[in-house]
Amino acid sequence: MKLWWLWRKREKELEKEIQHHLRMAATARMERGASVRDAQAGAQREFGNVGLAKETARDMWGWRWLEDALEDLRYGLRVLSKNPAFTLAAVLAIALGVGINVGIFSVLNGVALRQLPIPRAEQVVSVNQVLHGRFSRNVHGEGGLFSYPEYLDYRDHSHVFSGLTGYEPFVEATLAGSKAEQLLGALTSCNFFEVLDEHPPLGRGFVDSDCAVPGANPVVVISDDLWRRSFAADPALVGRTIMLNHSSYTVIGIAPSRFTGTEVIPSAFWAPITMQEALDPGGDLASDNLSWLAMLGRMRPGLSPEQVRADLSVIAGRIDQQYPGRTTSLLISKATFFGRPAEREVLVPIASVVLAAFGLVLLIACANVSNLLLARASVRHKEIALRLSIGASRWRLVRQLLTESLLLSLIGGALGSLLAFWSFTSITHFVTSQLPHEFSALSVNVAPDLRVLAYALALTLFTGIVFGLVPALRSSRPDLNTALKGDGSHSGSSKKSGRFLRNTLVGAQIAVCMILMLAAGLLLRGLHYAQTVDPGFDMKNVATAFFDLKRQGYEEHRATGFVQNLRERIASLPGAIEIAQAETAPLSHDWSADHFTVPGLAAKVAIEYNHVSPEYFSVVGIPIVRGRGFEAGDGRDGSGVIVTESTARQLWPGEDPLGKTLREDTGREYSVIGVAKDAQVSHLGELETTYLYFPAGPKDNLRTYMLVRFASGYTAISKGIRDSVQSLDPNMPVDVVRLEDYLDVWRSPSRIASALSGALAGLALLLASIGVYGMVSYTVSRSVREIGIRMALGADSAEVMRLVVLQAMRPIVIGGLIGVAGCAAVSWVLSSMLFGLNARDPIAFISVPCFLLAVSLIASYVPARRAMRVDPMVALRYE
Amino acid sequence: MNERYKNRIELLQGTLDLLILQTLLWGPQHGYGVSQAIRANSGDLLKVDAGSLYPALHRLEKQKWIGADWKISENKQEVKVYRLTAAGRKQLMKERSRWEQISDAIGGVLNPAKKESAS
Repeated sequence: MKLWWLWRKREKELEKEIQHHLRMAATARMERGASVRDAQAGAQREFGNVGLAKETARDMWGWRWLEDALEDLRYGLRVLSKNPAFTLAAVLAIALGVGINVGIFSVLNGVALRQLPIPRAEQVVSVNQVLHGRFSRNVHGEGGLFSYPEYLDYRDHSHVFSGLTGYEPFVEATLAGSKAEQLLGALTSCNFFEVLDEHPPLGRGFVDSDCAVPGANPVVVISDDLWRRSFAADPALVGRTIMLNHSSYTVIGIAPSRFTGTEVIPSAFWAPITMQEALDPGGDLASDNLSWLAMLGRMRPGLSPEQVRADLSVIAGRIDQQYPGRTTSLLISKATFFGRPAEREVLVPIASVVLAAFGLVLLIACANVSNLLLARASVRHKEIALRLSIGASRWRLVRQLLTESLLLSLIGGALGSLLAFWSFTSITHFVTSQLPHEFSALSVNVAPDLRVLAYALALTLFTGIVFGLVPALRSSRPDLNTALKGDGSHSGSSKKSGRFLRNTLVGAQIAVCMILMLAAGLLLRGLHYAQTVDPGFDMKNVATAFFDLKRQGYEEHRATGFVQNLRERIASLPGAIEIAQAETAPLSHDWSADHFTVPGLAAKVAIEYNHVSPEYFSVVGIPIVRGRGFEAGDGRDGSGVIVTESTARQLWPGEDPLGKTLREDTGREYSVIGVAKDAQVSHLGELETTYLYFPAGPKDNLRTYMLVRFASGYTAISKGIRDSVQSLDPNMPVDVVRLEDYLDVWRSPSRIASALSGALAGLALLLASIGVYGMVSYTVSRSVREIGIRMALGADSAEVMRLVVLQAMRPIVIGGLIGVAGCAAVSWVLSSMLFGLNARDPIAFISVPCFLLAVSLIASYVPARRAMRVDPMVALRYE
Repeated sequence: MNERYKNRIELLQGTLDLLILQTLLWGPQHGYGVSQAIRANSGDLLKVDAGSLYPALHRLEKQKWIGADWKISENKQEVKVYRLTAAGRKQLMKERSRWEQISDAIGGVLNPAKKESAS
């Protein structure tokens, strides 16, 4: 705008200067005696071409390009507004393509690229480590985390931070109350709120003395959300105690309302790390070789992450000296949600596949616009040829045409981005509502920021160039002779190459559309498979409840008493048939595995296992096919093990597995007493995996799944179980679910993926059929004369139409085949969501192409029918 | 061919620049004044085409060899008046010595005998 104003000013000044010159020259002539009119005319004559002088002077300003661009812009706007139908179609296609891409990117940006929503977040870095070489290390959470002594070392000996905090994310705790509530929080070092610069508006944050002695300071800061939800925003709560996992904690502060923690799943509470023993027995303050703490540091002003890395690496090197053969490299990154390497490893592949899929839809939209431009270019052929022949350079014309397509893409992109900014909330809502309910309150800020705007702009410009360049280059090719002869569009060579380009574009559209539709088809098949799969065990009419008694403060003896009492009470409930206990319930996303030595096999094998009570096999309906099941006498100290059929086949092929031995790393030996039928108890869709069952003992009561087979009436039995638990221990959290519910968790990613890919494939199909329709109707309208001649020579209309459709189908079939091949090559990326379904599932790979073929047949048949109605007489006079 | 054409333009341009800079050495002047001064001082031999004069003035202004101010003339009109800058003064010296070299060289080619006899 300022530039424009400056330009106007220059322009005016130049005008004034030249007028002054003319006046002075005229005055001089009048002084020599000429009449006023003669003097003015003479001055004009002497001056010469005023316009040219101005033009040349303006060139001196070095602004020629701007002027040209403005001229192109004006011309482009005029051309676009003269063809409203074309402009509307192109703008809508681009808006759709760009819009969905910007929408998905802003979600991604909110999830993983934005800085943490804390004050001066740009100073805060996340520190992670990668260990190389020979080492053994215990991991509680993610491998890139730190131990408590390591954290203290970095905190006390680094010089680059104004503060470094260490914390354990995702700590579960049960809040006692009228209804026990399961919370997710964090154990933090006591400078946590200082470093993040989030100071509780009510009460206080932690102070150093809170972390002085392990186990001595049961204090807690709770989130604003929890405060409002469970304590009615009572300001008097500060100073009172709440019960977490059966011990009391004093609430010392309420966190600021916009602070939801450092993870994408909001935290409900923060407790000093020294309370670890009570809140998360999995951690260990003393161990210096246990990964469990994440670190966030606030850099001193003016330092770069590289300097931070250099400083911390000195400390890392010193720690490495205690572990010969191990080297540590540190990763310093801006603090974001999903920022730790272990989290990125999960996110990046998913995000790339999603972005690629959305990008493909944009590509189809681009091809549509390209095709429209090509079609229009042949209409504008004469105009372009004329401009070329009177001396416009080809570069100048390409620039003009590109300006037009950029104008289109900018309008479409702006419209699409606006729509995206409006609709992103519903997209996020859709995705989060499909997640399991613990994740439902994801703190994702999807509002557009500079990064999203830059992405939208880059995408828009890229789009404009992608769809505009080929038509621009092609239509500005100097081919004056034929074009000026007035019949450019019908000249042989140009027509042929134009058709080739259009066919390529439509073929590409179909290929891309085919890939998206096949992916959607596969995912839908996978979802259907997951809905109807027989996991090999009977999940109907089984209620499950999980108890983590150790966390609730029970020791083995009390736990055994609790479990026995509970089993008696449940057994007396009407409708309860049989009760079993297991270390993990089938498909509960809870796994245990260990390495075992098998005599006769050189390498150790990693095998998943479960500790189960004798009733387990009959409760979940897994038959014992050989040997025997467990009996009441079998306990943890017993040496019997039950293997699955696949395990027996893989470990002892062709032999009788009964009596074979397995050795634990501790040296303990087990011998096979029975063989159970294969069942997908661990991973849905994986049948032929190895799996062991050990007998459960009293120790397993500390952490156990109770499985209850009932006759009918789930509501009654679940209420019965809950009441039994409440009567034994009113503060015990209890969550009764159906065994089938675990299956639902497995299906949810596949449900999101199939809904998203289905919507994308639908869009792709719509855009591609518009493309096919456009191409065929264009071909028909351009060859009306040819058709007319054919008909005049006696071809019947059905034959003509068949010719048109066949011609149209050739690029479609070729594109479709390419798409099928392409999808077959990459469909393995979906295999984790197909539950054992072949990634080249024949049903999907046959039905989807047939469907697409049928749709494109219709899309070409409709415009092709017009060819039948061509009247030879009219056609021959056409043009 | 192209190269020679470019050289010719540069020579002509250089000459016009020289004339403009030299004219402004005597004091600030507006565009018409510059053209009249060149014309008068060359004894009506050199007529500067306005279509070349204004582009040249604007180019020199962009190169910061001359500056421009808007003033009010006697008959109450706004006039753009050009003046020589310090950089322009230096450029003028350079152009002058170059011009003298060229004119000496051309003189030498045209009158070889005279040069020989002088030495």
